[in-house]
Amino acid sequence: MEIQPILKSLRRQKTAALLIAFEIALACAIICNTLFVISERMDRMHIDSGVAESELVRIRSSTLDDAAERSVRTAEDLAALQTVAGVVEVAAVQQVPFGNSSWNSGLSVERGAPPVTGATNYFDSGNLVSTLGLRLTAGRDFRPDEYIEFDALFRADVEVVGSAIITQALADKLWPDEPALGKFFYTDQDPIRVIGIVDTLIRPSFRAVADAPMSVIYPVRNTPGLQYLMRVRPPADLDAVLKQAETALREVHSGRLISRAETFESMREHFFRGDRVMAMLLSGVIVALLVVTALGIVGLASFWVQGRRRQIGIRRALGATRGSILRYFQLENFLIVTAGVVTGMFAAYGVNAWLMQHYELSRLPMYYLPIGAIGLWVLGQLSVLSPALRAMRVPPALATKA
Amino acid sequence: MFKMTHLSKAFRTEIVETFALRDFSIDVKEGEFVAVTGPSGSGKTTFLNIAGLLETPTGGRYELDGQDVSHLSDRARSRIRNEKIGFIFQAFNLIPDLNVFDNVDVPLRYRGLKASERKLRITDALERVGLSARMKHYPAELSGGQQQRVAIARALAGRPRLLLADEPTGNLDTQMARAVMELIEDVHRDGATIVMVTHDPELAARTQRNVHIVDGQVVDIDAAEPRFTAVAGG
Repeated sequence: MEIQPILKSLRRQKTAALLIAFEIALACAIICNTLFVISERMDRMHIDSGVAESELVRIRSSTLDDAAERSVRTAEDLAALQTVAGVVEVAAVQQVPFGNSSWNSGLSVERGAPPVTGATNYFDSGNLVSTLGLRLTAGRDFRPDEYIEFDALFRADVEVVGSAIITQALADKLWPDEPALGKFFYTDQDPIRVIGIVDTLIRPSFRAVADAPMSVIYPVRNTPGLQYLMRVRPPADLDAVLKQAETALREVHSGRLISRAETFESMREHFFRGDRVMAMLLSGVIVALLVVTALGIVGLASFWVQGRRRQIGIRRALGATRGSILRYFQLENFLIVTAGVVTGMFAAYGVNAWLMQHYELSRLPMYYLPIGAIGLWVLGQLSVLSPALRAMRVPPALATKA
Repeated sequence: MFKMTHLSKAFRTEIVETFALRDFSIDVKEGEFVAVTGPSGSGKTTFLNIAGLLETPTGGRYELDGQDVSHLSDRARSRIRNEKIGFIFQAFNLIPDLNVFDNVDVPLRYRGLKASERKLRITDALERVGLSARMKHYPAELSGGQQQRVAIARALAGRPRLLLADEPTGNLDTQMARAVMELIEDVHRDGATIVMVTHDPELAARTQRNVHIVDGQVVDIDAAEPRFTAVAGG
């Protein structure tokens, strides 16, 4: 191996070598963090909502009803929607996954204790678990006698909601080492018993994937701002179902305003549009960085090969095989890239720390560093291949040319 | 040591074929010191290139140590160059980015010798040319004569049986040229076969045999001792 002579030789041409190493370090730092950001965005985009998205549509309508009228209207609306061809389940709820608007509470496992975690609150007017297609992994759905009216939540003479269904992730967060079913948690002074656990149900909006499945379903009817969910029997035409549902709702009350009528698939699409655009932009940044880095390596290696043609001829005359010359340039590139990668790894953590501080990015997992390093090593070797092959073809007779 | 028989070397373009060597025959014995002279463009360097396996002939036969080496693979030619042949060039041909020690080390690394063995050979060779105190110097820090002595040390460290010198004193003043020539004669006395291309009749006269090349052919042989032979035009 010619590592030592190559290093000595590089010391004599350190400006160019340092520039390339710096470019590689910069690429390493940016690429590692960018890949991580893309990966987080991809995780968000592919998150399991817990609901039967391909079979669900939602309609949001507004009326000027008071609380009493709202209760009657909701019952009429649900009955009308149930008659739409292809609809198998209907429910009313005040928020939905991918809906952006979210009602949240802090949850404690002891009365008066600080919250262990925050969670979103889904208020089930009836049949929500079944309509969303949630998978109950423990316990049961709400009994009819467990439902209370939303207005009662604010009256001192009525017992507050006493039962809830929570997600497995929330159960693990609240009681990491014991089963959650039957346990009590608190949002205020009154205990709420866990009567069921669903596999997962994401918040309407979330930033970190780990926080997404922190959800509670309460048996609360007649909440303001209710929207309707319809689960259809596949392979129903969801758009046709939405049109028929709108017609059905207008037949119940022609003066209503229907502000939203969409499938869950289109809601997911819309919800993650920003993540998708960001992932594409960042992928473009990575490709551009790789191209610029590769061009830098090709340029420098070509310049060095051209400038060292005589030296290569001398080496060939002194016994270097073509393979020796090829390996020389590959090894030289490997050493420069390694210097860049090692520096880039520290820089990657520096950039990550800055992003954590200013953009709420998570800590960069260690395994991104070898991924970035291997990627840049491969890029370096591929980039130097063409100049190295040209070097390999330099004839030994060049040594005797004047 | 080596024998070329009816050797030719042609350089072809689309419209013309030029012969650098034509029907070239020579027989150089083991331990011989041969001077090759001739006008510019006569084919001296091409002859030296082929003798040193830096180029392949387009015709004829070249035997080195009894082995036909005319059409060996690049790898085999590189190995023979590295193990049997030493080169001294007019322009010294040291690698400017490497110091004296590392320059002498270059052919030894290609031979795959152990570091300890290489170090021993390098220090021996540099002591022999009187440059052991300059091991850490770079070529640019040495005079022309010193650079050529480093080149000789590089050749000596490989312990070649055939030393090919292309105008070794061409870039040196008289005093340095004399010192370098004495070194080459030392190497010859140690048993190496030497073929030296030169324009200098004085240097040529110090060898055992002069071969004169004109237009790619041997036209005159002046053998100082009868045991050496060379055949012009086959």
